[in-house]
Amino acid sequence: MVMSITFEKLSYTYQTGTPFEHHALQDISLTIADHSYTAIIGHTGSGKSTLLQHLNGLLKPTSGKLVVNGQMIDTKTKNKQLGDLRHEVGFVFQFPEAQLFEETVLKDISFGPKNLGKSETEALEIARQKAKLVNLPDDVLEKSPFELSGGQMRRVAIAGILAMQPNILVLDEPTAGLDPKGRIEMMEMFKQLYEKEKLTIILVTHNMNDVANYADNVIVLEQGRLLRQGVPTEIFSNPEWLNKHHLGLPQTTAFALKLQERGINLQELPLTEKKLAQKLAALLQREVK
Amino acid sequence: MSAIIEIENLTYRYAPDDIIPALDNINLSIKEGQWLAIVGHNGSGKSTLAKAIDGLIAPQEGTIKVAGIKLSEDTVWDIRTNIGMVFQNPDNQFVGADVEGDVAFGMENQGIERSEMVKRVHEALTAVNMSQFAKHEPVRLSGGQKQRVAIAGVLALRPNIVIFDESTSMLDPEGHRDIIKLMKKLNTEEKFTVLSITHDIDEAALADRVVVLDNGKIIADDSPEKIFARGQQLIDLGLDVPYPESLKQELAQLDVVVPKEYLSEEGMIDWLCRLLLKN
Repeated sequence: MVMSITFEKLSYTYQTGTPFEHHALQDISLTIADHSYTAIIGHTGSGKSTLLQHLNGLLKPTSGKLVVNGQMIDTKTKNKQLGDLRHEVGFVFQFPEAQLFEETVLKDISFGPKNLGKSETEALEIARQKAKLVNLPDDVLEKSPFELSGGQMRRVAIAGILAMQPNILVLDEPTAGLDPKGRIEMMEMFKQLYEKEKLTIILVTHNMNDVANYADNVIVLEQGRLLRQGVPTEIFSNPEWLNKHHLGLPQTTAFALKLQERGINLQELPLTEKKLAQKLAALLQREVK
Repeated sequence: MSAIIEIENLTYRYAPDDIIPALDNINLSIKEGQWLAIVGHNGSGKSTLAKAIDGLIAPQEGTIKVAGIKLSEDTVWDIRTNIGMVFQNPDNQFVGADVEGDVAFGMENQGIERSEMVKRVHEALTAVNMSQFAKHEPVRLSGGQKQRVAIAGVLALRPNIVIFDESTSMLDPEGHRDIIKLMKKLNTEEKFTVLSITHDIDEAALADRVVVLDNGKIIADDSPEKIFARGQQLIDLGLDVPYPESLKQELAQLDVVVPKEYLSEEGMIDWLCRLLLKN
């Protein structure tokens, strides 16, 4: 089975045939490879959320189709046929902790697998594994999820999604509202899920540093159309183009650009702080000699 | 300039048996016209402090004075006319059917005359650069535009102090830049006292003064430059490390000798240029 996501000429229109008709996605064709870390960037209203909602059949295309891990979804697909897909794709929406409800952390995480027909013991075992995977300390497992800090509550919610054992994890601004430390820890955790658990990650974000640091594939949307798809170095290689489309640069690239304007020759613009530091260190050592 | 907010020995517990109080003996005096950034990790007490100043919670110990008036049950409504609050999520702050109606809402509640309201709505929307959207539906605006409308609603009530509670954290990069610029304008041109509760280093950098909270206590109170020089420790304080500082650390790890003092972005660029462009 081909484990990837393919959009073929997919369009989605809200409220077709009414005065409020809105073409949220137009003629989107793209492929997201299995076990890739894809970032989707674009403005509010560019179609990011609409695109995400197609991935597990929350929305069905108005025209065109998409194929997720071998399963085709088009206009005619019935909801009944989407059961498997919804296990395949795990969604972490903004502020997922708002969906916690159980008495204890462990019960909350095991709710999904129990619903899928696992026994109590199996479900609790899965919950323990997933709690470990999101770095929740053992001593919180029997606590009420509502006694935890914001960052920990969010981990519980994410563990609950992982307990459904998806292959694809969709993250919609997953670090919104966390402090910088919580944000770094959370992004590192997703990196581990990507590297060790071999999940395919799809991240929607405004944070270009995260795109530069973690993604290997970038999809740029603008007004419902696919503007560009490529690796981060391609996407961020043209500051003028980014500016024209009101997209930001990673901090490192913006800083490197300023150095370049002052006459320091860095050859190509680095995307990450480590790369820039290495280049500068090499240049500085040459000066010393 | 005189103090517009004076806080003495303020202690607050959410529940009487909380071992660690949410606010622990806070003493703070904020001058009129000052821009104060309050930083700290999640749960350090930042938002609790803002709520206490606005009289949304009643402290068990200590006093708060706003514009010379001591906060109490009798004075809380007067005190609130001095303070405008802008929150994190603009979507949770909308009540009006169009932008104008939304900005007018607070004034309607205060029973302000219609002709005066019309005038103030116009002024407030001009101040945030949103007059051309007066008749638009708030839901159709971008995040930054929504936040500007929320700020207009606050300005229309003519407060002296505007408190921004993580008001830039949910915006896209353009909206984020936009609101920071507007905050600066409100402070320097319109002379509002600004309190910004934030994790954002760019926002904190614009403040006159940065107060760091940890477990409900003030653990540092200094200029942004002095606070930013703490490098990696900033992460534990709930702030990002400013980019030049973190680049400096990377360079130091590669055995480059770096200056000890805090460098702004300009300062860092100048330093690198001096070393690399000698001729």
